[in-house]
Amino acid sequence: MPTPTLLQSIAITLIQCVLVVLFVFVVVPLTVFAERKVLGHIQQRLGSTRVASGHIGVTGWMNRGMWKWGRIPVLSYWRGIPGLLADVLKLILKEDIIPAKADKFVFFIAPALSMVSAVVVFAAISFVPGTFFVFPSWFPGLAGLPVSGGIADINVGLLWILGVASVGVYGIVLAGWASNSKYPLLGGLRSAAQMVSYEVPLAISLLAPVVLTGSLNFGEMAQRMATGTSAWGLVPQVFGFLIYLTCGFAETNRLPFDMPEAENELVAGFHTEYSGMKFGFFYLAEYINMTVVSALAAGFFLGGSWLLPFGLQGLVNKLLPAGAWIAGPHAIFFVAKIIFLLFTYIWVRGTIPRYRYDQVMSVAWKYLIPLALVNLLLAAFVRCAV
Amino acid sequence: MEHFIETIGRNMFAIFGVMALGGAAVVVASRSAVHSVLAFLFAMLCIAGCFLALEAEFLGMAQILVYAGGIVVLFLFVVMLVEVTKAKEKEVFQLQSRYAIGAVLLGVAAFSAVFRKVIFGAASPQALKLPENLAQGLNVAQQNAQAVSRGLFAGYLLPFEILSVVLLVALVGAVVLAKTERV
Repeated sequence: MPTPTLLQSIAITLIQCVLVVLFVFVVVPLTVFAERKVLGHIQQRLGSTRVASGHIGVTGWMNRGMWKWGRIPVLSYWRGIPGLLADVLKLILKEDIIPAKADKFVFFIAPALSMVSAVVVFAAISFVPGTFFVFPSWFPGLAGLPVSGGIADINVGLLWILGVASVGVYGIVLAGWASNSKYPLLGGLRSAAQMVSYEVPLAISLLAPVVLTGSLNFGEMAQRMATGTSAWGLVPQVFGFLIYLTCGFAETNRLPFDMPEAENELVAGFHTEYSGMKFGFFYLAEYINMTVVSALAAGFFLGGSWLLPFGLQGLVNKLLPAGAWIAGPHAIFFVAKIIFLLFTYIWVRGTIPRYRYDQVMSVAWKYLIPLALVNLLLAAFVRCAV
Repeated sequence: MEHFIETIGRNMFAIFGVMALGGAAVVVASRSAVHSVLAFLFAMLCIAGCFLALEAEFLGMAQILVYAGGIVVLFLFVVMLVEVTKAKEKEVFQLQSRYAIGAVLLGVAAFSAVFRKVIFGAASPQALKLPENLAQGLNVAQQNAQAVSRGLFAGYLLPFEILSVVLLVALVGAVVLAKTERV
């Protein structure tokens, strides 16, 4: 295979970025739709079945169309999907209000910080080890060049992910402060305390894979966690996964830990004063963060781009014939796991009521951190003894 | 085009360094405390960029994780709680900017005194190397984190532990101070 020149490698990286953004912007709206539908079914109703407004205009036309198509049985389930389009239109077209007493610069930059830190994490995540695809020979300028499964192969990828994700807290805190209003400030302060607290057990639970694999590179860790751990490695992996997922829920401010925006306490928390696309950015960032947390859980605990979770693949692969399709890595497995975890988010949201604020903090400091430390000890023991 | 990009790539350290200095200047000059903290965050991220330009990935990431992700959040937390509204309070906050110039000059003097050989001497700055016996079987350029950990936990264990005791003293001191204030 030819080695790319500098310009070509920059072009390839740009293409990878576009692909990742496309992936995110396909997954996020579908998650929003799935949230409406799944929550609906959990509460024994249908979920969204039509575009919000009446019978006239564009939405009326979309409504009529979807109800007509909906007579075909499978499609009937998707009747609510034009509602997403209407939602996006609403976000873009709504008036962008800046409160008179707001700090304008900080008010402007807060949603951007949230969004950027959520998206940039994807730089270190590799969807499949090695080459993802090779450009066909007719492609202008890039013919025959390989595209790897992740944007950047960073030696300290895990630290990159944790570091950049931890910058995301500024978006929420600054939004709360810049609005210059009671409820956002309370929401911002709550989230600062909550996110900083939950970062600790989250990082410690991710140290278990680091100890088990002896690497900080996302691709390498995923590969060794999926195929290289012993049978004893199962225990710290399962515990670590549960701790990580709990912390992940708290880090993304999702129910049952959605303190920063608890509707019936704080109106809408940190984004009370936001409207239009600025609010849209917070909304997007929340869902992108969910995708990121799911991707990390999938990569480190659920076997990455291999089929079986918790290192079972490595044990099963000995029984499989060499080169079997299900023994190898495929991007489709990785994406499927991400989607399953996103479903879990919605499932938990529909099942568990919100914690009280002091309970949230005591869960982090009194239970999750000690549990995560014990898990780390277990992982170290497995690494040394077995 | 290619030449241009390569030039930028070679001078990444200088670019990030100038940006960090600009951020630091805003920290001192800004009238709002929250803006200062934001500028400080920017400076910290740029310093992480400097580390990355020197191929010290682990240090760069630790910089983002510890300073940008942890310490500056706490700064922000405190600054948000202590809202400076009255003119007199504002003056107290602004007082520091008069001493800041002196502090910067002193810092520059101390820095150039320590690094005068590197800056003015003929010898080019050399990367700090691990002792031979520690670097065995390790590609230091590729395995930054491993090299740092070997240095910390095998080569310089005692200074490292003493440093952690110093941090502990600071922690205990903070707790004691906060408690006496409340009683």
